[in-house]
Amino acid sequence: MKVNNRRRAKMSRKASAILALCVVLVLTIAVGYLGVHGTWLDSRGLYKLLPWLPTTDVENWPQSIALGLDLKGGVYVEYEATMSDELREEGNNFDYLLQNTMDIIAKRLTEKGYPEATVSKVGASGIRVEIPDVTDPAAVLDLIGSPAKLEFLDSDGNVFMDGSALQTAYATKDENSKPAISFTLTKEGADIFGDMTAKSIGKAITIQLDGNVLMSPTVQTAIYGGQVLVTGSFTEEQAQNYALQLQSGALPLDLRQDKLDTISATLGVDALGTSVKAAIIGILIVMLIMLVRYRVAGLVADWALCIYIILLFLFIAVVPGIQLTLPGIAGVILGIGMAVDANVVIFERVKEEVRAGRPTIHAVRIGFKHAMSAVVDANITTIIAAVVLLFFGTGSVQGFATTLLLGVIASMLTAILITRFLLTCVVRIWPNPALYAANAKPAADETVKEAK
Amino acid sequence: MKIQNRAKICLCVSIAIMLIAAVMSLTGHGINYGIDFAGGLNLQYNMGAAYDKADVEEALKAQGIEEFVVSSVGSDGTTVQIRVPTLSSEDEVQNLQNGLESALLEKYPDMDTDNATASYVGPVAGATLVRNAVFSVLIAAALMLIYIAFRFDLFSGIAAVVGLLHDVLIMISFMVILRSVIQMNSSFIAAMLTIVGYSINNTIVIFDRIRENNKKPALAGQPRSEIVELSVKESLGRTINTTLTTLVTIVTLYILGVASIREFSLPIIIGILAGAYSANLINGYVWAALEDARLARKSQKKVA
Repeated sequence: MKVNNRRRAKMSRKASAILALCVVLVLTIAVGYLGVHGTWLDSRGLYKLLPWLPTTDVENWPQSIALGLDLKGGVYVEYEATMSDELREEGNNFDYLLQNTMDIIAKRLTEKGYPEATVSKVGASGIRVEIPDVTDPAAVLDLIGSPAKLEFLDSDGNVFMDGSALQTAYATKDENSKPAISFTLTKEGADIFGDMTAKSIGKAITIQLDGNVLMSPTVQTAIYGGQVLVTGSFTEEQAQNYALQLQSGALPLDLRQDKLDTISATLGVDALGTSVKAAIIGILIVMLIMLVRYRVAGLVADWALCIYIILLFLFIAVVPGIQLTLPGIAGVILGIGMAVDANVVIFERVKEEVRAGRPTIHAVRIGFKHAMSAVVDANITTIIAAVVLLFFGTGSVQGFATTLLLGVIASMLTAILITRFLLTCVVRIWPNPALYAANAKPAADETVKEAK
Repeated sequence: MKIQNRAKICLCVSIAIMLIAAVMSLTGHGINYGIDFAGGLNLQYNMGAAYDKADVEEALKAQGIEEFVVSSVGSDGTTVQIRVPTLSSEDEVQNLQNGLESALLEKYPDMDTDNATASYVGPVAGATLVRNAVFSVLIAAALMLIYIAFRFDLFSGIAAVVGLLHDVLIMISFMVILRSVIQMNSSFIAAMLTIVGYSINNTIVIFDRIRENNKKPALAGQPRSEIVELSVKESLGRTINTTLTTLVTIVTLYILGVASIREFSLPIIIGILAGAYSANLINGYVWAALEDARLARKSQKKVA
């Protein structure tokens, strides 16, 4: 009677494992299919199914993944830079200011979500900007923007301070929930501003951006400390734009637009095709290696790998600020190799336990437990690297860091959660140790060894 | 003892490779910078009709230009923009233009040669980008050291970061040594960052084993280098498998890829091999040497 109950319990565990595997399989195929052929459900595919994803006018992922200059092209614009007379009289170095201007433009583009844009010098005084994934030349103005020139004027209309006194600026709201811009001034700026407000009590001080008056309040009291809250007649969106422009700094040089046009991909169409072909072949070989070395566990790893690839491309499609370049794609392919690593670490541990003669279900549990510290530590160190690059890097370094971070997160999710879940289900169904490791020793062999 | 000697020899081999690269760089045979780093010459032509990119590329090759970027400008597909490496004199620029024009005029008689433009364009991977990348990697290394010191011990952190810098330096050294076959373009930055993320993985997996074996009572009192040797051996199956799977994907890319993909995949291949080399043969022993030295100092103090 008891035996019968136990057998029944075992049977139902097996049945629930089979059911769970079927559910995951259906989900994998459905999400994968929707990702590639989103048109199946409606014109929006997955976006229709999962409405919380940031919707754009794309129909499916492949189209929503933005491509870099090398693969798709974009727009290019060339400026002629000149130095104002004032700056020349102050004895400024033109080349230094030109480099400064280029750095600011690059920073602005990165902040607008185009880390793969390039900025280079043309001739002696030109600046060339190439922006990927943009098809309308007119959009460039929005991206690079008109130079945001911040000025502080006293009551007589004389400029007493400019944008160089600004340390940070961000959009916020005042106590009446009206859109506002918060300035933090540099130390010198704070002193100048404090002295000027002390002198101007009862008079007006004007803050203007590119010649437009942002606000012109009457000074009530001296403001020291360098914190200034500006409220005026602007909307929340404008406040954000102003803050962004101010944050990246006013351009030191005057720019005159020289050329502006679309530009095609720098690589041939075949480059993308070849790389995708290489990727597919590479992935298939990896899958085969896993299958041969780890048998049923390898099959589980291959399945997890498919889920990893689907997840990663979903991330790349929906996270803004990624334009996939050819090296980017190669990085993703390498990431696939790295994602397998966590599985390899885990399976080697499971194999050790199986060879030691443990029942497979325990071997899997213990193997995961032993492998976890290595997998977690390895991934966290990589995450540390990615986050540092994201914060300190510029341009393509930042773009790369985003892809790397997404890759590691997807890899950890699949290795720690999905592989474990699938493998636990599978060993419930097929517990034969020989399916998981070559030279698996049955318990009897182990005793012989022990006896020696 | 022998094991430690082997680690020393391996370290010396790496240092020798770095020295060769350093000497080559100092004698003017340094890294072969491509257009991305060195800048180049931008030529623009209106071809007068829709043109075939392959014709332009053929004409460039006929002029002895190996490295170039050809793209079309505008929506009508008649204007071509060509980027080639910087030429040494105005005469050479003129020669190139004349050569290109005569070759292309045969096929495209409406080509506008009067309004052609030629201008020097600076590097797209400018000094700021590179400085920033190096700076970020150093900060990342410092933070990784702190994390590993916290999760393992200080010497593991030092040994892991030494290994990381070793792998990056070996990559750069090979860019110098293989200068005749490979150019450095902005994709090298991506390759370098990939190896930073990848190489630390190898080291951590082995250090994890060392950490575990170090706690085992059965192994107490064993020399550290023996424990490292055992840990490396125990992880070997995993190391070989991982290295193999990553190498397979990247070598496939190298074999099938176009020139710009090779510029990226070759340094990665070198980086992966350097990473496997340092993780298995160097890093653990650096830790063992540091740890043994500390224990020796400690026991000396006790004696004193």
